[in-house]
Amino acid sequence: MASTAPARSLSPRARWAVPAGVAAVVAGAFVAPSVIASASSDLPELTPAELLVKVAEAEPVPLSGTVVYTARLGLPDLPLSEVQGASPLDLLGGSSTIRLWSDGEDRSRAALLGSLSEFSVVRDGPQAWTYSSSDDEVVHYTVDADDLERYGELDDAARSGAAPEVAGDLPTPAEAADALLAYAALSTDVSVGTATQVAGRDAYQLGLVPRTDGTLVDRVLVAVDAETSAPLRVQVWATGDTQTPALEVGFTDVSFTAPDDAVFDFTAPPGATTTEVEVPLPDPADHEGTDPEDLKDLGAFDGVAVSGFGWETVVEVEGVDIEGLLAGDPAAATALPGMDRSFGSEGAQDLYGELVGEEGTVPGVPEIDAAALYDQLTQEVPEGRLLTSALLSVLVTDDGRVLAGAVPAEVLRDLA
Amino acid sequence: MSLADLAAAERPGAPAETPAPPRGAFGRLLRSELRLVLGRRRNLVLLVGLALVPVLLGTVLFVTRDTAISAGGPPFVDRVTGNGLFLVLTALVACLPLLLPLVIGIVSGDAVAGEAQAGTLRYLLLLPVPRTRLLAAKALAVLVFAACTVLAIALSGLVTGAAYFGIGDVTLLSGDTVSAAEGLARTAGIVAYVGLSLTGLVALGLFFSTLTEVPVAAMAATVVVAIVSGVLDALPQLSAIHGALLTHHWLDVGELLRTQIDLGVLGQGLAVQGAWVAIFGALAWSRFTTADVSS
Repeated sequence: MASTAPARSLSPRARWAVPAGVAAVVAGAFVAPSVIASASSDLPELTPAELLVKVAEAEPVPLSGTVVYTARLGLPDLPLSEVQGASPLDLLGGSSTIRLWSDGEDRSRAALLGSLSEFSVVRDGPQAWTYSSSDDEVVHYTVDADDLERYGELDDAARSGAAPEVAGDLPTPAEAADALLAYAALSTDVSVGTATQVAGRDAYQLGLVPRTDGTLVDRVLVAVDAETSAPLRVQVWATGDTQTPALEVGFTDVSFTAPDDAVFDFTAPPGATTTEVEVPLPDPADHEGTDPEDLKDLGAFDGVAVSGFGWETVVEVEGVDIEGLLAGDPAAATALPGMDRSFGSEGAQDLYGELVGEEGTVPGVPEIDAAALYDQLTQEVPEGRLLTSALLSVLVTDDGRVLAGAVPAEVLRDLA
Repeated sequence: MSLADLAAAERPGAPAETPAPPRGAFGRLLRSELRLVLGRRRNLVLLVGLALVPVLLGTVLFVTRDTAISAGGPPFVDRVTGNGLFLVLTALVACLPLLLPLVIGIVSGDAVAGEAQAGTLRYLLLLPVPRTRLLAAKALAVLVFAACTVLAIALSGLVTGAAYFGIGDVTLLSGDTVSAAEGLARTAGIVAYVGLSLTGLVALGLFFSTLTEVPVAAMAATVVVAIVSGVLDALPQLSAIHGALLTHHWLDVGELLRTQIDLGVLGQGLAVQGAWVAIFGALAWSRFTTADVSS
């Protein structure tokens, strides 16, 4: 509308050309940035070992950025975020956006974004919080007083971070690179792929291809920032579809500057339901055993057995009370059979029954309950219940054993 | 004004021969358009209706609070009883999918087509003002009305929320708590973002309005585009085009309730609206400045 002056002498045809021109300019403005960004990079060539050493020697760096996580695992579609806002269950399928901050040491924050909702995980040294905006619920994880003294001596890797792939849980000793490569070489072809760009940064790509056909993993590609050696993207292809990655998590935008300290300060908001959870720290002795060479040591834990090797590894855990886990409390556990949805309290359950009536039409937003979810995700097999996905199979047997591995479901059923 | 001038003004495609408009003509035109849009009884009823949404919501929540049926509902509903400021957000989010597009569609779709149907458009075109400026005045008047719709909901929500529940510190989606003043500022940002999110729809409605002499058709077409856009947005198979959809970024307004506001996200949403405004504004201009107006 600012085009009043030049418009005076235009013919009708020329006037209709204006919107076409505007559309072209708009399209150009939206497409141009991605074209510029996809310009090829020219990084010096590296061997896999050199790249691994580079990664191993890299200091953890403070960073903040946006991560897009996409899972195409072939699980039943669960439009959960539509119903209950952002929750970690979103990660089972579809695309999720996660915002990440880390000071490169022991403070980090990850926020899983939903439209008008958010699930945050804040870690501040020995304590951590999760906050779900849709439930207004806080879970506060702390280390008990005895362990707190030991905490300082323990490696960061002892604790599960919010987004371990990117939070800087890297093996610090440089030799680990050689050891890892040697170990990986037993089962994997390790190569350096073509350099790429992730989130506008030059990145090396480390390719891992399993040597066996007995796994669901076709190949793995890890993009590593050329400058800071921080992992920028991990893509995993499944044997079922070798074109589109079954699992992809990578930065869409990242900056390696220290985030504002205020991000890591979390106080439970007033009025929120707060649950306190005390996390036992693993014994330092146990912790020694997490080197890749000692994977078999997993079997040293009670009731855990490991069979297979490398990509074909199957972990078997005994004595798992699935129903108890799902229900969370004994009252709900007894109410499980025949109950489509269960609530935490009996009063709520009664009220729900009244509101829902016999037809089962649901007023408002239904609670997602774990048992229904479990039923939906798994399928009945003679051995128990089976969860199959593009990358992982899990078999829960009727006698309380859980078998899991990146192997075809048949392998698990044969083992069980 | 001579007869020749009149003929020139009326002849499509030849507004070049219109004499230079007297100073302040555009201002007078804009004022009269604003009077027309904001003074019209139907439009005032629409504004009042929108303003009643938060009152209704707030009253329901006030009556049912502390009872068993208080939980559930649209986003933020469970937070309203703790902080009246959230009533503004709840009401805006509740009105976004349908009510706001409907009201904007009615007013923008009526802008040109309504005059054409009433037979007043040809007299309007007799004014010594180029059609471009006439369209600009109409667009501005509708934009002002769009701003009024959002403000009506926001102010009514603020007053109702403050009266029923009071206003206090705001808990963000991230779980951090900010002062009531910052919460108020963020709410103002949300209101501004929602208002700007409607500009694409205004341009679209204006374009449809130049196509027809039947205002209802333009209104319906505008609302249909908004609804179809929402439907397409819900289809994961079309995720490739989601970013360009008119309504896709509307709920990005939640960004203003996160601990660190990523302006890029908001900018992206506004850029998409800008694109819709540019394209359909240009289309409306082409159509309006070349159309034969016979009634």
